[in-house]
Amino acid sequence: MIVVISVVAWLFIVVASLCLVVGMAILDRGRIARLGTNLRRYPWALRREILGLLAVLAASAVGRGALQSVSEVYGWRATGTIVAIEGTFVAWVQASLFSPVATRYFSWIYIYAYVFLLVFPVIVYGSRRTPTTLRRLLVAYALNYGIGLIVYTIVFAHGPRNVMPDLVTSLLFTHNPDFQELAAQVNENANVFPSLHTSLSMTVATFAYRTRDSDPAWTVLAAWIAVSVWIATMYLGIHWLIDVLGGIVLALGCVAAAVRIVDPDPRDGVESVDGGGTNPE
Amino acid sequence: MGSRPTRRQVLAATAATAASGSVSGCLGAEKNVAGRDQPSRMTLTITTLPADSDPHAIRIVRHLAEHLEAVGIEPRIRTVDDAGLYREILINHDFDAYVGQFPSADPIDPDALYSLLHSSFVAEPGWQNPFGLTDPAIDDLLDRQRRADREDRRRAVTELQDAVARRQPFTVVAFPDMLTAVHDDRFIGWERTRPATSEGLLELDANAAAGTATGDGSPNEEPTDGEDRDEEPTDDEGRDGEPTDEEPANDEDRDGDSTNERRLRLVTTDSRITTNRNPIAPEHRRYGTFTGLVYDPLVRAIDGEEVPWLARRVVRVDDRTVRIDMREAVWHDGEPVTADDAAFTYAFLADTSLGEAETPIPSPRFRGRSTLVDSATAVGERTLEIRFTDAAAATQRRALTVPILPEHVWRSRTGLVDIPVGISINEMTTEAQVWENPDPVGSGPLRFREAEADERVVLERNPAHPIATRPESFPEPVRGKPAFETLELRVVPSDVAAVQQVGDGLADASTSNLGPDAVPRIGREAAARLVSRRSGAFYHVGYNTRRVPLSNPYFRRVIARLLDKTELVRSAFQGYARPAASPLALSGSWLADELRWTDGDPATPFFGTDGELDAAAAREALREIGYRYDEDGALLVPDAAE
Repeated sequence: MIVVISVVAWLFIVVASLCLVVGMAILDRGRIARLGTNLRRYPWALRREILGLLAVLAASAVGRGALQSVSEVYGWRATGTIVAIEGTFVAWVQASLFSPVATRYFSWIYIYAYVFLLVFPVIVYGSRRTPTTLRRLLVAYALNYGIGLIVYTIVFAHGPRNVMPDLVTSLLFTHNPDFQELAAQVNENANVFPSLHTSLSMTVATFAYRTRDSDPAWTVLAAWIAVSVWIATMYLGIHWLIDVLGGIVLALGCVAAAVRIVDPDPRDGVESVDGGGTNPE
Repeated sequence: MGSRPTRRQVLAATAATAASGSVSGCLGAEKNVAGRDQPSRMTLTITTLPADSDPHAIRIVRHLAEHLEAVGIEPRIRTVDDAGLYREILINHDFDAYVGQFPSADPIDPDALYSLLHSSFVAEPGWQNPFGLTDPAIDDLLDRQRRADREDRRRAVTELQDAVARRQPFTVVAFPDMLTAVHDDRFIGWERTRPATSEGLLELDANAAAGTATGDGSPNEEPTDGEDRDEEPTDDEGRDGEPTDEEPANDEDRDGDSTNERRLRLVTTDSRITTNRNPIAPEHRRYGTFTGLVYDPLVRAIDGEEVPWLARRVVRVDDRTVRIDMREAVWHDGEPVTADDAAFTYAFLADTSLGEAETPIPSPRFRGRSTLVDSATAVGERTLEIRFTDAAAATQRRALTVPILPEHVWRSRTGLVDIPVGISINEMTTEAQVWENPDPVGSGPLRFREAEADERVVLERNPAHPIATRPESFPEPVRGKPAFETLELRVVPSDVAAVQQVGDGLADASTSNLGPDAVPRIGREAAARLVSRRSGAFYHVGYNTRRVPLSNPYFRRVIARLLDKTELVRSAFQGYARPAASPLALSGSWLADELRWTDGDPATPFFGTDGELDAAAAREALREIGYRYDEDGALLVPDAAE
């Protein structure tokens, strides 16, 4: 527990600093000012979305153990099928990219950049004039977690580092056992399909793409981090290619659903006008 | 084993329908084809634990899977959690093959093979013939070794090993070293015996230097390269005498300040004890290390010596009967331990329904030992008479090492329960077998204090135990023990994390297996060192002989010959293991001479040399025993309908 707290504290410091630096770099003063205003309005205006997301996260935290037990007894044992389909692809990814620098880079991506990627869009979309995108983002997050939890229960499989340790080294956890303590607190090692790292990063990247006109720098940054996260999950031996593909499909589905659920108005296509990127204040 | 309809089957079926009698000659041929079962390609599923739980087993599975593929058999790796593995293998018998460890840290007595292989246990759950082997010759030898004494028994055991090697219901891969990362700051004596056993933990000593914070060259600080220490405990003997001087100090400390509580902190990757503490539930126990400290047997084996434990004295009455005087002891809830409890335990282990079920439902653990007892009767408040079944005196004594259970707790658990979820065979079971036993009441030197599911368990010293109240009546290695006030077992996510915790001084020792990623790490952690002892818990590939094609002993022998045990010891165990061909390879002189590992496997030699599989030779061997390949080189399932 002590270990976990120090890891979490460090994570918080890193992510907060990243948000500050990147926020200053890509948001102009007008939007930063609006962020301040919105900070007072949005928690109440978006209470349904926020509560929904919190409810899903709470359900995940509370119910994960029980659902895991159900999965252990009734879940579809998918490890063998996954290996039969994709073989040693992940081993190939790790072998072709392997270097100490790559290990450090992808570990950093998997932990810090990933959390930053999930937090920062709240700032980007929280500084827009209307809260529609932020709303959709929160709904999409909740859907990702909720559906992910259900699929985790149905599919019982272990990741490459657990199944082919002769070919795939558990790079992240071997070099940073503390992270594994943290990971064990928020996840089970038999929850690999789909990759929620992939699906959430894909979700953010998709929203970033939709707002590319108003926030082009953010789009590039989000895409870069998201793709790095996908590679990282495989390079570090945590996920199979199939998990990553499943995550991408889940993300696209969740974004589409979120767009339908929240303000499904025809102006959707011209959503960028509500952005404040070029807003003369 | 999957079989998919082949193109030929579909075509044949279509043709048979279309032909509708007009071209009868052709129809006859098609009918013959369609009516036959088409051979399908062979798939073998191998069940095991993920690397986080068992870093070695998955590597053996990978090795086997690769070689199966090379000979045209499609391998499927099935990874399950700890309890799941043993539920599928030991209770549901739902597996083709598995890789796991025999559940005994100490080398086994040959009679342990009785329950492992005798056909009379074929339908029972637990480590009772999970392979489903039914072989009259092996049954006969098992019975013979049980009854025989001395040379006769030795001959029977030798023949038995040979018969088992030829039938290969399981393939012994290697006896691993029990590797432990330890931190000597607070407790010493880790190398005295196997640290992850009840006795090993009992024998630990407090580090006299603790608190003074100087490692002032106490002898136990020196052997930091404890690697490769073999089973000979001789080099530790000099140390045995030393810690006894410290005992009074221990006692003072115990009464002393509670802030610096003398706590032994262990880490494991196996979380089962945090949710289930039932000593008779086989899928939740590994060696029963912690339940073995909570529950006391009549006689405990300490360093190979039988030490009267709950028993004060064991007196032989005749060649089938012993009389036992029991110590004065109390259960953790304050009730006195009586001979009635012991008599109840033997009756209960033989039938957990105590006659309520039409056929007895024996306890799935301690099964081999419970079959040695014909009856146990309380003849006094603390006097027990045990009548054995027809077995040699030396073998009979094994029955005295089962844990004694409190009658007042377990008698109400004899009721039958409906088929529990996820369990498909042995439709009748008792509440006792599926009970989680959240607050265990034993009489052992440790008692349960608290637990958090999947996080930790805390046991504490039982001040009422005879070992504390009458220490002089216990032999030296355990006198005045345990050396700790509380024992905390914490669950960590992997072997690497376990080593890290020991290195950081957050734990005193790791108790679960350490794999190739974790062992080198110990060397880099200044505070941790590696302690290694050969373990009796041999790794093996178990086959489900109830299923085609593993029902064929010739086929099993070919599979066994796909394993390069020498190479596995090098790669999967980094040399911390010894390859073997017999389950008795560590059991001293019981090992059959012909099965002694010399320059390769004496029973099932590997197809190939230096780690390279000679796939052509293996394929040829499969053809010789009647198997066929299709045009793509895939092995076909023999046409066996049963």
